[in-house]
Amino acid sequence: MAMNELKENGITILAVDGNLDAEGTQAMEEKVLSLLAGGETCLLFDFSDLDYINSSGLRVLVLAYQRLKKASGKIAICGIKDYIQEVFEVSGYDKIFPLFPNRGDALTGM
Amino acid sequence: MSMADTITFQMSNKMNCFHHFQPRVEEFGEKHGLPVKVVFHLNLVLDELITNIISYGYTDFDEHPINVRVGIEDDVITIRIEDDAEPFNILEAPEPEFDVPLEERIRPVGGMGVHLVKSMVNNIDYKREDGKNVLVLTKNISKPCCLVKG
Repeated sequence: MAMNELKENGITILAVDGNLDAEGTQAMEEKVLSLLAGGETCLLFDFSDLDYINSSGLRVLVLAYQRLKKASGKIAICGIKDYIQEVFEVSGYDKIFPLFPNRGDALTGM
Repeated sequence: MSMADTITFQMSNKMNCFHHFQPRVEEFGEKHGLPVKVVFHLNLVLDELITNIISYGYTDFDEHPINVRVGIEDDVITIRIEDDAEPFNILEAPEPEFDVPLEERIRPVGGMGVHLVKSMVNNIDYKREDGKNVLVLTKNISKPCCLVKG
């Protein structure tokens, strides 16, 4: 798993590549917690090159959602592969997270 | 043409589970020309179930074997997991609190792993036998899934 963080239009973009297995999820959780602790209120997860996520990975996204909701912040996800989108649909999280086809659409739509 | 093939591996509760089985599942998928999505389902099912066993299954700190078998015959993939952890029947596990808004859920993603597993297979059999949990899941790749819908 590799992460790349950048800021555009006041939105912090976290691009996560590869596998969110136990190890990758832990690294992403630490990153998300530190961003939230640093006062970030606008988070975009770019999953264009994400190949794998499990229920622990979803838990980290839900944690970020719950924290940002309290802080009147924003959260969105873009670029997910169709088979990962299915995981969001089965879990009902597609109704909670705005899902954008790509980064450009997310930045204008958020 | 009928084809049948099986891979087996023994894991332990002291292992990094994903790193151990993922390369084997990928290789199995490649050999049988399985779609990326099916290989993802197999990896996710194994990950969720084995992680559950390792995280909640044992009352001691000893090393325990977890035996896994993945087989394919024509369009049917069978996954068998056998462990000596505490009895756990996935079919009786509570479902996520879908009717409660996310921010009010006590267990935000409680039961979600099991729910994902059920959504990706066509059948699940559980039995407790000789002090072991034996879980057999089948997935028919020519049919739509599955036991639950989102």
